[in-house]
Amino acid sequence: MNFFKNLFLRRQMESEMDTELRFHIDSFTADLIKRGIPSDEALRRARMEFGAIEAKKEECRESLGLRLWDELRGDCRYALRMMKHNPGFTAVAVVSLGLGIGANTAIFTFANEILLNAMDVPHAERLRIFNWTPGPKTFFTGHSWGNQGPGIASPFPYQLYLEMRRHNDAMDDLIAFKDVYQMTATVDGQPEPIDGVLVSGNFYQSLAPKLVAGRAIASADDSLSASPVAVVSDAYWHRRFSRSADALGKIIYLNRVAITIIGVNAPRFKGPKAGGTPDIFIPLSLQPQVLVSERGSLLAKNDFSWLMMMGRLKPGITDQEASSRLVSAFRNAIHTTIPELKESEIPRLSLIAGNRGLDLLSRDFSKPVYLLLALAGLVLLIACANLANLLLARSAARQREMSLRLAMGARRSRVMRQVLTEAMLLAFFGGAAGLFLGHAGRNLIPSLFENSWHPSGINPEMDWLVFAFAFVITLITGLLFGLAPAWRSTRADINSGLKETGRMSTTRPKALLGKALVVFQVSLSLLLLVGAGLFLRTLTNLRTADVGFNPQHLLLFDLNPPRSQYPPQRRIALYRQIEEKVAVLPGVQSATLSSVPLVANSGDQDCFRPTRKRSGNGEKDATDVNSVGAGFFETMGIPIVNGRAFAIRDTQHAPRVAIVNQRLANAFFAGENPIGQTMISCDPGSTPVEIVGVSADSKYDSIRSDVGPTIYLPYLQVADLGSMTFELKTAAGTPSMVGEIREAIGSVDQDLALLEVRTQTQQIEATLSQERVFAALTSGFGILALILASIGIYGIMSYTVSRRTNEIGIRMALGARSTTVLSMVLRETLLLALIGVAAGLAAAAALTRLAATMLYNLKPTDPLTFIASALLLTIIALASGFFPARRASSIDPMHALRHE
Amino acid sequence: MAKPLDLLQGTLDMLILKAISLGPLHGYGILLRIQQISKDRLEIQQGSLYPALYRLENQGWIASLWGESENNRKAKYYSLTARGKRQLHLEAENWNRMTDVIGGILNTAKEEL
Repeated sequence: MNFFKNLFLRRQMESEMDTELRFHIDSFTADLIKRGIPSDEALRRARMEFGAIEAKKEECRESLGLRLWDELRGDCRYALRMMKHNPGFTAVAVVSLGLGIGANTAIFTFANEILLNAMDVPHAERLRIFNWTPGPKTFFTGHSWGNQGPGIASPFPYQLYLEMRRHNDAMDDLIAFKDVYQMTATVDGQPEPIDGVLVSGNFYQSLAPKLVAGRAIASADDSLSASPVAVVSDAYWHRRFSRSADALGKIIYLNRVAITIIGVNAPRFKGPKAGGTPDIFIPLSLQPQVLVSERGSLLAKNDFSWLMMMGRLKPGITDQEASSRLVSAFRNAIHTTIPELKESEIPRLSLIAGNRGLDLLSRDFSKPVYLLLALAGLVLLIACANLANLLLARSAARQREMSLRLAMGARRSRVMRQVLTEAMLLAFFGGAAGLFLGHAGRNLIPSLFENSWHPSGINPEMDWLVFAFAFVITLITGLLFGLAPAWRSTRADINSGLKETGRMSTTRPKALLGKALVVFQVSLSLLLLVGAGLFLRTLTNLRTADVGFNPQHLLLFDLNPPRSQYPPQRRIALYRQIEEKVAVLPGVQSATLSSVPLVANSGDQDCFRPTRKRSGNGEKDATDVNSVGAGFFETMGIPIVNGRAFAIRDTQHAPRVAIVNQRLANAFFAGENPIGQTMISCDPGSTPVEIVGVSADSKYDSIRSDVGPTIYLPYLQVADLGSMTFELKTAAGTPSMVGEIREAIGSVDQDLALLEVRTQTQQIEATLSQERVFAALTSGFGILALILASIGIYGIMSYTVSRRTNEIGIRMALGARSTTVLSMVLRETLLLALIGVAAGLAAAAALTRLAATMLYNLKPTDPLTFIASALLLTIIALASGFFPARRASSIDPMHALRHE
Repeated sequence: MAKPLDLLQGTLDMLILKAISLGPLHGYGILLRIQQISKDRLEIQQGSLYPALYRLENQGWIASLWGESENNRKAKYYSLTARGKRQLHLEAENWNRMTDVIGGILNTAKEEL
């Protein structure tokens, strides 16, 4: 405490010290006078016996631990002065560090938001979510979504949840939820798509998220007899009701069911699914009304898995203990609710971390995000090498100053500390710039990832973790680029350092450390350039890949009429009606619809086999299915190579028909004419369909996957359709049509929400988000690395040329021509660049394999990319070495010999 | 009078603690008291008294207070803290043991071996 008191009350402490010492000398003087010594002589003797006052004061300060602080301040002041005198160097340092640290901070902010942030509820670290994996002979019936993969929550039946909740003694309580998408919320007559969550009645009570208005859903609300209520998100409250208090108690229609809004979530609570942005939370008991299922009420089903279960461990209970208790509760609950399940069919239950709720983001994003962090780290490393190099060159220029300091008795550690302080100060300026850039660019990466027509709603904010991250990498950076120059500065040989005259240039060390750093920098830059090249070529390959249909001038939108209003037959009629309406809109050349939009990462697979074959091969016969309108092939521009396209006559009442693609025709009917053959779904009791046409192959769910066997069915002949995507071939200028389409649909059904309006090219581009992010960021990083490398090469060559001025002067005096000198310097540059390029190529060849799965139509050692990157880097290196070389070649021998 | 002895390394702290254990003193007073007790047989570098005082205070063995001196001037008085008292005790004990051992060695006669 004393230390801080003395630090902050510095002036007081200094004046007290002064008074105290003066008192001593005065008292001593007075005593001496008393002994009869003349006053002048007495004062002189008192001062002499006391010793050097200033030195003693300094010792006092050191006793208080203030000396370190004083020295640090001195060093900082000195460093600031050096920075002011070298504005070019300072600017290069701060900007390159700022960009490096900024890139890292922005990516970390994104990673923090989508991979690390926990749900904003108390004790999120004790939350666990349930997962099951199939037992030895599992047949856990009718799970709607199947298993998402290891380490990810899996769904459970409602009855099982109730039974387990009743017998739970390991967790505070068990809660259940289900995320739901594309419901229709009608507020004041305006239909709008909305995402939401069905939650168990104890969800709010047990999870305890904060609300900003109204009340939470209570257990009493989760009952079939209760009146329907909902809690909405803060974002929705803002968007739809401008945060008006009138929203509470307001009745809105969710999939046409009247629901009263009772509360608003706090802005930080984004629901139980990581990265999700649900706008409405309703009790599970509303499922039968709001989410009509072909299975009826899911609440009554004992074996249909659809709910995620989670809970908070009781304090002091270990995972193992909880697991073992819950596993037996699960076994009992299964015996009670699904008695027909045999022991060997019971799945294995496990608990996984639930602090982020249902977390699919980690699975999808951790690899790309960590790769991006690694790449950004590489950029920072290059910036460090660059700065270390520049500082080294400068410390060589300051050898005289350092020698002088050492000669005057400065300890080596003291000189080292001073150089390190300079580096650290630069690092902190760079860190501040980086934090600023990172903050400005924090939305850049999410916006690169999201669809152009549908913002993801991910707006990462910086928190203390981001600041800590930026601070730590700044410290590491400072150490990385400051240590070598600091160490080097104390190696100064005092004698030769002070005598330096420039005439000893032939024996001068050849800046090996600096050159090694440049080589290192060049090789890292090449690595980044190769990465950028590979990702750019991948993106180009994907964009120019032949998709097998014509994506130009296609406008897409989705419809998902609620099942409560539209049972299967009425649904088909509705689609038919709308298909006719939109086809005649002005500007529409043709219109169609399909159950699966093309190249949208979605698909529908089923098992189909030729009827004459007795049984299917199960998985092997998995076929891509698409239920489409009659004009599908014409609208999408997919050629029919054999037979006919669908026609208006292929209705419910006409014979069942199908069109297959060439891939399927070759797979099932090799060497025969598929037209007239029949196929049948492997589901028992299905009707055979007759193949009436063969279409050319076209991409189905993504550009990356090869075209699989595909079967097209007329949607009019499909028993149970879900949501459909409409495709309109338009003249041009599509966005202006949205109003007319909305009107056309409104004329059929006022309350039907128009979903996901986009063009086919936007849709394809959306599936390339990851490739786009990688191409954009690696190109940016690559350019940055190139600039840094050219600065590095320019710096080291300028330095060597200036060190050799004398020698070059002698050479020229002896008759060397300027072109000889020019080529001599350029040769040296080329040598450095080539060593760096060779090392970089070797590293790239070894490392690009790791990203092989992210490439498309490209080997990880793509020769074109490798050669082009190597060439580009060599040319840039030569160009940056050219200026110092020209300076060397224009040295005037007379000047040079008199130099220094 | 014999030439005063130079202070042994590390003993100044102990002497300061001892001097103020008899009552609060200002810096100059500490010097005078040590000289008085030692009957001027010890040579103390006057200036080195203060870094030692600051160090002892920073360690919490002594505390300081501004007061008035005999000649009515502002002066900083030092006194022993409880921890300082313990430290003095400890150091005195160590010192006595040390002098015993060293003295014993130096006074050993040949026949005792």
